[in-house]
Amino acid sequence: MCNACGNPAVPGHWTDAGAATPGDRLRARFQRAALLNKILRPYGLSAYDDGVVPGVQLSTLSGSTTIVPDLGSLWAEAERLIGFPIDPLNAAFLDV
Amino acid sequence: MSDTTGSRMRLTVLGGYLGSGKTTWLRHQLHVGRFGPVHVVVNEAAETSVDDILLATASGLTLLAGGCCCCVGRQDLITALRHLCDLRSQVTSTDARLNRIILETSGLADPGAIVSTIQGDPVLINHIVIDEVLVVVDALHGLAQLSSEPLGRHQIGAADRLILSKSDVADPAALTLLRATLRGLNPAAPQSAAILGEDVALDQLPPEIQAAPLPPLSDEETRGPIFPACVTVGDALDWSLFAVWLSALLHARGNDLVRIKGVVRTPAGRLLLQTVRKVVQSPEILPERVDLGEDGKIVFIGRGFRAEDLQRSLDHFINPTR
Repeated sequence: MCNACGNPAVPGHWTDAGAATPGDRLRARFQRAALLNKILRPYGLSAYDDGVVPGVQLSTLSGSTTIVPDLGSLWAEAERLIGFPIDPLNAAFLDV
Repeated sequence: MSDTTGSRMRLTVLGGYLGSGKTTWLRHQLHVGRFGPVHVVVNEAAETSVDDILLATASGLTLLAGGCCCCVGRQDLITALRHLCDLRSQVTSTDARLNRIILETSGLADPGAIVSTIQGDPVLINHIVIDEVLVVVDALHGLAQLSSEPLGRHQIGAADRLILSKSDVADPAALTLLRATLRGLNPAAPQSAAILGEDVALDQLPPEIQAAPLPPLSDEETRGPIFPACVTVGDALDWSLFAVWLSALLHARGNDLVRIKGVVRTPAGRLLLQTVRKVVQSPEILPERVDLGEDGKIVFIGRGFRAEDLQRSLDHFINPTR
């Protein structure tokens, strides 16, 4: 994958399944990016998906940005940047 | 996703412990034509092989001898499968193309590792979709293998469907105990029985039968036993948000999550979701009529977490308040 533009996209990551029409796909990408931003903000990261460039753009507070092709790579890259994995079973996600 | 799975070859992985009856079962299935035209890939851990002679009725056969393809023979497996993909791409008529491969693993292979090898290969993932992981269990010796061999438990955990062989010669009480134990290790996998490859009916397993106590294996002692947990995904939950949670969970806890299986509703239809450790099989859109249990209920089999935490984590992760 080109690190500048993200093309060509790898076909068919499992998280992209379930959207049959281009409209569904785009909606899913925007929803996903919105949720990722809420999750990643406490860790000093942000996610950006404009619906055009394949993959998700993961940025740090200093502005350095990586394009990750799918969600699996996104969590791996986030772990690399912050030094530990973001664990949904962590107490922070279990408390109201 | 359905459009990308449609043109790919279907691969069935046939696993099971040494001497469990994999070849016998496959030989009979080939004889009765259960799979239609099929290419069989046989892997043997030993250098000398006999299985290829027994399986001569397949339309094509590749033998990978001298190394288990989940570990030392991994590269050989990739090369052999890529070669099949190559040959298939050269056939222009869609009717004459090879559409199904059966991979008979060696008795020492972990089917989960094989699935992840195939899905991790950038070429194969575009040509092959894993259809099903069948695991043959020896009804006579299965329980003894499960108590002593971590591999035996890994094989059960990776199965989509369990086939009990030699069920006619096993003691009925022992067979029931084995089935209850298998249900405990992998509640999501339906069980069937076969004698010399021929399907035989199994009685309904009474729910009150307790699984045999399995001694903890060395690597498990610190991480606790494997148990099933269930997460309910309501109709209101968007699949794309669920995928964000699940992908994070698999990244952080994938090695503890032996198996996840369930059906979720998505805009494209009912989606069959299944994973083996960190590897997610290509989700498949199911026709409305196929009944695989209740929609929106996802079974997690694993260890190292509390069952009730999964649902709470999902609810809070997708509605962050921080």
